[in-house]
Amino acid sequence: MKTDVRLVPGPAKRTKRIVAGVVFAVMGRGLVACARLDGRVRAEAGSWPEGTAITLAISPGSPRVTVRKQDGRLHTLGSRADVPSTLLVTFKSVDSALPVLLGMKGILEAFAEHRATVKGDLGIAMSLVRCLHIVEGYLYPDIMTRRILPRPAVREAGHLRAYAGLLGTAANLGEKGAGL
Amino acid sequence: MIPAYYEFSNHAKVLSGENAVENIAYELKVLEATHPLVVTNRQLRDLGLVDIVLRALADGGIDVCVIYDAVPVDSSVDVVNDLAKTYRKTGCDAIIAVGGGSVLDTAKGANIVLTTGSTDIKEFMGSEVITARAMVPFIAVPTTAGTGSEVTGAAVIKDTERHVKMGFVSYLLLPDVAVLDPRMTEGLPPRLTASTGLDALTHAVEAFSCRQANPLSDGYARAAIDLIREYLVKTLEDGQDRTARLAMANAAMLAGVSFSNAMVGIVHAIGHACGGQCSVAHGDAMGILLPYGMEYNMDVAGERYGELLLHLKGAEVYASTPAAERPRVAVEAVRELLGDAARRAGMPMRLSQVGVTEADLPAIAATAINDGAMSLNPKDADVSDILGILRAAL
Repeated sequence: MKTDVRLVPGPAKRTKRIVAGVVFAVMGRGLVACARLDGRVRAEAGSWPEGTAITLAISPGSPRVTVRKQDGRLHTLGSRADVPSTLLVTFKSVDSALPVLLGMKGILEAFAEHRATVKGDLGIAMSLVRCLHIVEGYLYPDIMTRRILPRPAVREAGHLRAYAGLLGTAANLGEKGAGL
Repeated sequence: MIPAYYEFSNHAKVLSGENAVENIAYELKVLEATHPLVVTNRQLRDLGLVDIVLRALADGGIDVCVIYDAVPVDSSVDVVNDLAKTYRKTGCDAIIAVGGGSVLDTAKGANIVLTTGSTDIKEFMGSEVITARAMVPFIAVPTTAGTGSEVTGAAVIKDTERHVKMGFVSYLLLPDVAVLDPRMTEGLPPRLTASTGLDALTHAVEAFSCRQANPLSDGYARAAIDLIREYLVKTLEDGQDRTARLAMANAAMLAGVSFSNAMVGIVHAIGHACGGQCSVAHGDAMGILLPYGMEYNMDVAGERYGELLLHLKGAEVYASTPAAERPRVAVEAVRELLGDAARRAGMPMRLSQVGVTEADLPAIAATAINDGAMSLNPKDADVSDILGILRAAL
């Protein structure tokens, strides 16, 4: 009998993790970009205490993304943040996360299905959910948002400006934040 | 209705009946505990309820216990941490919580601190973040029939520094044993009986209609409402009716199991905010707000409310009411029950009767929107929606 068998995730799981990592990065940058473009996200993030570090992650291990509020601005710290998270949202598995990250399932539905754990202030978590709904409204077309958002998406800026803002944030990753 | 995915847990052993408290000593033995810490408050000691438990422990062969009776009306971080310190210092090996929601939540909070080896409950704020092989043995003896805390995996504890109520959610918070003994609630005055009973009704109605509702939580909610329909008014008419008291204790427990797994919604979110901003008693807020919350949710949850008519009014009314009318009649049934409680026990029916003013509403709405319960309400709500509900209930 063999003991201590080493278990290795299959290739499909590794692919899913890579996809999740990419979407996390887009989500983080989207949040930062929307704090610049959209007054509602700006107001929500403005209510978070200075130094708030929000991490979206998948258990166990990476992928993850952290967004931090510093000097009144949101910054994405990418997947290698070295700051402790004040709010940590952890999906229980990559399979729990992917339908949400790919816009097939709503965030509230995901919480209702126990797909993620939340460590930290649930009030800030509620605010984050409202922000992510707005971000999803920019990132995804109406055909998807109708299914996953609790209300029809309302955008204060166009998709193109949002994508441009997202790329701009990517270009300045960790250097320039979005002013609140 | 079957959700695409759901989770359900209720591992608390329930002891229900006359003299159920007498079996606590045996349950401690099963849990291999001999030196319990009894958590309660001074008022319950003065009323003699704690003595019932202490005598039962002595009769059951438990020689020594420690009593912690400093739990305030609102459970707080400081009290939780102090309780955990007391437990460690006195070498106890189990917790027996005797009281209402605040006492039970304090005990749950201390259990987190003790089990994790921490010193500060605040480290564990959030949902499903506690990990442990086994918690400290924990027996809950509720002295009200409303919160259902004896069978829930949730605790609300106040952060006295930031003046906010923090939520802790984990299946690990469930007590090992829930003891429902009618002696523990028969002294409840009618006003409190009504208020806590309507809290239980709100748990059941919201759990049945929330996003996280599932077939198992539905069953518990339906059973809870059946008992409330039959026994709430009886307990208001005769507080010494032990059958009615036991039935209401069971109703609260059943509703607790239901909402521990299906969660609650907008009525609780606004009610918590009314408590935080204007010190409105939780059960009062629930009774006042429930019909308004149901009306707000009607376009998405109406069908579910219609199903509840069977339990709110019984089979004859349900069968004789056209399907399209059932949701509206279900709300009427809730108002009728609240009216009964108002006539018999002086329950308030409007927020203005409990000290809320128009000027308070914006702050209440701003707090409610960030309450975790809002996320599982069947219908999305923004601040203006919440203000609409508050104004209707004022």
